[in-house]
Amino acid sequence: MTHRVAVMAVSATPVGKIQTPEDAELHTLEHEVMAKLVVEAMRDSGMDKKDVDSLVFAMCRPYTRQKYFSTFMASYLQLPCHGTVMEALGNGMTGGIALEQATRDVESGRAKVALALGVNFESQTPSGEHMNSSMRTTGDVDFHTIFGVTPIAWYAMDAMRYIHEYGSSRRELANVAVKSRYHASLNPIAQYRKPITLDEVMAQREIVEPLGLYEVPPRGDGAVCAVLCREDIAKASGRPYALIKGRGFYHEGAHQISEVPNDMIAFKSIQVASGKAYEQAGVKAGDMDFAELYAPCTIVEVLASEAMGLCERGKGGKDAESGATTLGGRIPISTSGGLMSRGHPAYVTPLYILHEVFQQLVGRAGERQVKDARLGAMSSELGNYNAALVQVLEAVR
Amino acid sequence: MSMEIIHVDLDRSYPPRPTETTKIFWDAIAAGQFKTTRCTSCGKMTFPPKPICPHCWSDSMEWADLSGKGTLYSRTIIHAAPAIFAKEAPIHFGIIDLEEGIRIATRIWDMEPLDIGSPMRIVTLQYNDGPLFAARKA
Ligand SMILES: [Zn+2]
Repeated sequence: MTHRVAVMAVSATPVGKIQTPEDAELHTLEHEVMAKLVVEAMRDSGMDKKDVDSLVFAMCRPYTRQKYFSTFMASYLQLPCHGTVMEALGNGMTGGIALEQATRDVESGRAKVALALGVNFESQTPSGEHMNSSMRTTGDVDFHTIFGVTPIAWYAMDAMRYIHEYGSSRRELANVAVKSRYHASLNPIAQYRKPITLDEVMAQREIVEPLGLYEVPPRGDGAVCAVLCREDIAKASGRPYALIKGRGFYHEGAHQISEVPNDMIAFKSIQVASGKAYEQAGVKAGDMDFAELYAPCTIVEVLASEAMGLCERGKGGKDAESGATTLGGRIPISTSGGLMSRGHPAYVTPLYILHEVFQQLVGRAGERQVKDARLGAMSSELGNYNAALVQVLEAVR
Repeated sequence: MSMEIIHVDLDRSYPPRPTETTKIFWDAIAAGQFKTTRCTSCGKMTFPPKPICPHCWSDSMEWADLSGKGTLYSRTIIHAAPAIFAKEAPIHFGIIDLEEGIRIATRIWDMEPLDIGSPMRIVTLQYNDGPLFAARKA
């Protein structure tokens, strides 16, 4: 027998610079930050510590000192577990895989309550040095990395192709950055909250053509703890929760680029994954009240929302320009401010995405509340959306 | 047919590691030849060259010449490069669809921005410590 899975609570730190330098007199350390969030999230969830049987962590960056973080934390929290104690790793999808594994443990009955959690500290490592490592994560190290290609360069090539095929422009796509920042201005945990104009976005220094500083994600630290449980336990608690109604995953069998020419900007993986998630949930793309997407750059949000059926093909840029994807519009996208403004502590970013979906569905999103939010979709991905994980969640109040 | 060989007075920033399979490819590049592996079972070519066929999982592979001709599918200019590549920035990079039906991503050697859809040709970059390849407008 399988169980339906509810999200009962999600606690998160504001995104930004949390990590302290190696020579600091007083340190902010990953396990203390994490432990406080676990206690806060569990208190908020109303669940019993004795019912927690799975700890599924997003793996830490190599820039944190404590290794085997999951088993270390099981000890730090004095938490024997019958389900799973593990760290997941899957590029940008890392936090999404942690969520998926925690969901499976509850679904299969191995855990009444499961935590999907993690901490991503990286701000003490300069970007150039970080890129020496991140350049090895995308493409083939002996046939692509040798040329100096960076992770976001692949998204930049999506943008160039999209502009070419659909007569879009950097300026049209840049509306996504302005919209994201407006949403972030309403989000107390966002990394960048000062509103920006289209002209300001266009005036930033180029990072990778055609994307400038405000059209690519910032780097930052963050930590999140989500509490999942069996729906019958959630119901009995009498508290509002978000039901995980549908899930879909697909990997297209390509790492960054398909050696067999395809439509690179169709983002087939999220087309397939969202199709499965909608089907399992018994809903359609048009039923979504909002969506919170894993989209590191302006173009990625446009392509992912088109592939999920939230915007028409070739019209995602225009939807951002017209305000259709802004709060109050037809389909608000990334009300948190998204990766560009809420921030992108990469390995836990998908858990921040869950945090926003949860806040919206339990009606705690404050000034950025989507009115009567009942159904929301979320995504995480890796590579150039070579793989996607999509969840559809429903409010139960 | 031999490719243009361009001498670059630098060491490669992050050289590839040749294997029994790929050494044959890199030696050919150094000699101005562009080739890859082809499956003798299903007949499909693959790039980068591999000791197995990714399509039918046969391990019977042979070498086949590539024309080095293709079309620019997309491109970018990387201004913020990894520290290891700082001396080579800005880096022009693109995706080329070869006429044999293979998509590759490589350095673009032209410094002026190229139109998507431009005809391209592959060239050898002869660095002081060994070869790389790149694409130029044909
Ligand atoms: Zn074959």
